[in-house]
Amino acid sequence: MSGEDARQETAPVLSAQGLTLGYGGDPVVRDLDLGIEEGEFAVIVGPNGCGKSTLLKALGRVNRPESGRVLLHGRDMRSQRPKAVARRLALLPQSPLAPEGITVRALAARGRFPHHTLLRQWTPRDETAIARALELTGLSELAGARVGALSGGQRQRAWVAMVLAQDSETLLLDEPTTYLDIAHQYDLLELFADLHRRGRTVVAVLHDLAQAARFATRLVMMDGGEVVADGAPADVVTAERVEAVFGLACDVVPDPRTGTPLVIPHERALRGERAGR
Amino acid sequence: MSRTSPKHPFPEAEPPAPATSGTNPSDTGPFPAPDVRPTGRVLRVGRVLALPVHPRSVAAALLLLAGLAAAAAATLSLGRLGVPLAQLPAVLGGQGEATHLFVLERLRGPRLVVAAGTGVALGLAGALFQSVTRNPLGSPDVIGLAPGAGAGAAVAALMLPGVVPVPVGALAGAVLAIVTVYLVTGTGLRDPGRMIVAGIGVAAMASAFTHFVVSVMARDQASVLSAYVNGSLGARSWDHAATIWLAVALTLPFVLALAGPITVNEMGDELADSLGARSTATRTGAVALSVVLSAAAVSVAGPIAFLSLTAPQIARRLSAAPGPNLVLSGTVGALLLVCADLAVQHSPLGDGLPVGLFTMALGGVYLGYLLIREWRKGTL
Repeated sequence: MSGEDARQETAPVLSAQGLTLGYGGDPVVRDLDLGIEEGEFAVIVGPNGCGKSTLLKALGRVNRPESGRVLLHGRDMRSQRPKAVARRLALLPQSPLAPEGITVRALAARGRFPHHTLLRQWTPRDETAIARALELTGLSELAGARVGALSGGQRQRAWVAMVLAQDSETLLLDEPTTYLDIAHQYDLLELFADLHRRGRTVVAVLHDLAQAARFATRLVMMDGGEVVADGAPADVVTAERVEAVFGLACDVVPDPRTGTPLVIPHERALRGERAGR
Repeated sequence: MSRTSPKHPFPEAEPPAPATSGTNPSDTGPFPAPDVRPTGRVLRVGRVLALPVHPRSVAAALLLLAGLAAAAAATLSLGRLGVPLAQLPAVLGGQGEATHLFVLERLRGPRLVVAAGTGVALGLAGALFQSVTRNPLGSPDVIGLAPGAGAGAAVAALMLPGVVPVPVGALAGAVLAIVTVYLVTGTGLRDPGRMIVAGIGVAAMASAFTHFVVSVMARDQASVLSAYVNGSLGARSWDHAATIWLAVALTLPFVLALAGPITVNEMGDELADSLGARSTATRTGAVALSVVLSAAAVSVAGPIAFLSLTAPQIARRLSAAPGPNLVLSGTVGALLLVCADLAVQHSPLGDGLPVGLFTMALGGVYLGYLLIREWRKGTL
């Protein structure tokens, strides 16, 4: 057991080994290796259909790999009980369904499911975890409000509260800012950055390269089911790479506020085959 | 390995974050667990059992049970053969006039107990199915399960009497119906619109088949046809009562064990899986239990329409709680069916009227309302 502990201390939080993922047809992700270290805010970017969401779902134990495996703290996820995995790893999918008439607090409480057993469906820890989740997301005042009556930004915060109540060290977020206006996008990203500063390991799929570069401690760029670049945002986001991966001719300049890379597209920047769609 | 002591490299001095730092500067991700009292009501037995309780659901259940007791008393005491209310306690205790005892033991007693058990089974079956299909129209009676079970029961009872027990025939018919719907939609049980259309087809075929079986085997008995096509509680025996309550008793532990995963499953397969709830296994289990309960109900009372559809919806409005409201749905089902049967027994059209016709007439209106509402919401 001591050898096991030692391995877990040094092992990455998540480690994908030879991962091939798909939905029956051609694989979407092919023979991919990736390690997520503790304390990272890793952001996965890439063009539509590059397999980034598919990869995130596999890391979150939602997709079953066609081959390869995902290790959580050095142990194969599939060999662990689903609830045990869920206590260490939370995933916020792209479009979760809010049950009719549910309140913010009741939604957050559903994140406690992995901590419950058949006979113990309440633990004292539930109360603190739910209260902290609502506090961190700024929803304490709205605990009794119905999720359906919230604004888009608040609703997304309610879902974040649910995965926070899950009380896991690692958060996986699948395009969490989609459908939000720009202010609410940054509001939410600041929240994730705050959670990261407080010690959570965060892995997110984002579309906006500037946002990704601004908040990530590590950027993983994918194309065609493979990782094409992986490292510090300034090293990953270069004009040549953005043109090669996204087909977008551009300049990359430092963000005047943060110094992180900012993509400035050229006029008529798109290559023919993409612009023609 | 213990998850209570995960390594957390959070520096205590962190962070000067503007939005939330004022509230708890020593927050370190996973939360401390001091001794706290629950916000809602929690039923606790030592350290073994801790179940959250929704007060309004409990109040609603008690109210429904009171209503059920009143409807049961009315069922036993109204009408020409009724046992007068004053003598009811004595008769229930096995004392009293022979005619009263006969009415209780042979006529109305078993009918009442079958009605309540069938109502529970149909309510539970509907709540399970509607929850995992995430649609009020994804109900066993809408998608042709009950007519399928009815056809199976008719074949077992009329063509193979003594060879295949009626409940087995009903179960086979229900399984055949659900498998057909599953295959015909091409998307399994995911798309409610396709499921309803497939269900209409399956229900029509099953009813036609039942008509065929009954007209071949029991040509002159309109009441037999009606029992198999519409459902009826006429002339029920204690055997029927034992069958339905046994089915309820055997499935109930599994239903309650599934309540947690089903509740999580309402938020989508991906989220359920990531919470450790095994969405596919949950759905398969819920559909299987729903099929067994529906088949048991049909085998003792025929394909009584629209109880599975309405009971969970009424239960949800009574409790005002999200989630499948399983126990409450079963209780509503029992009260609805006992009341419907009471109404049928005392309708001026004579007590030969099958209760299934009555529920179909009322439930059909509700189905129409639901179809229009879901259509407007764009979920169909």
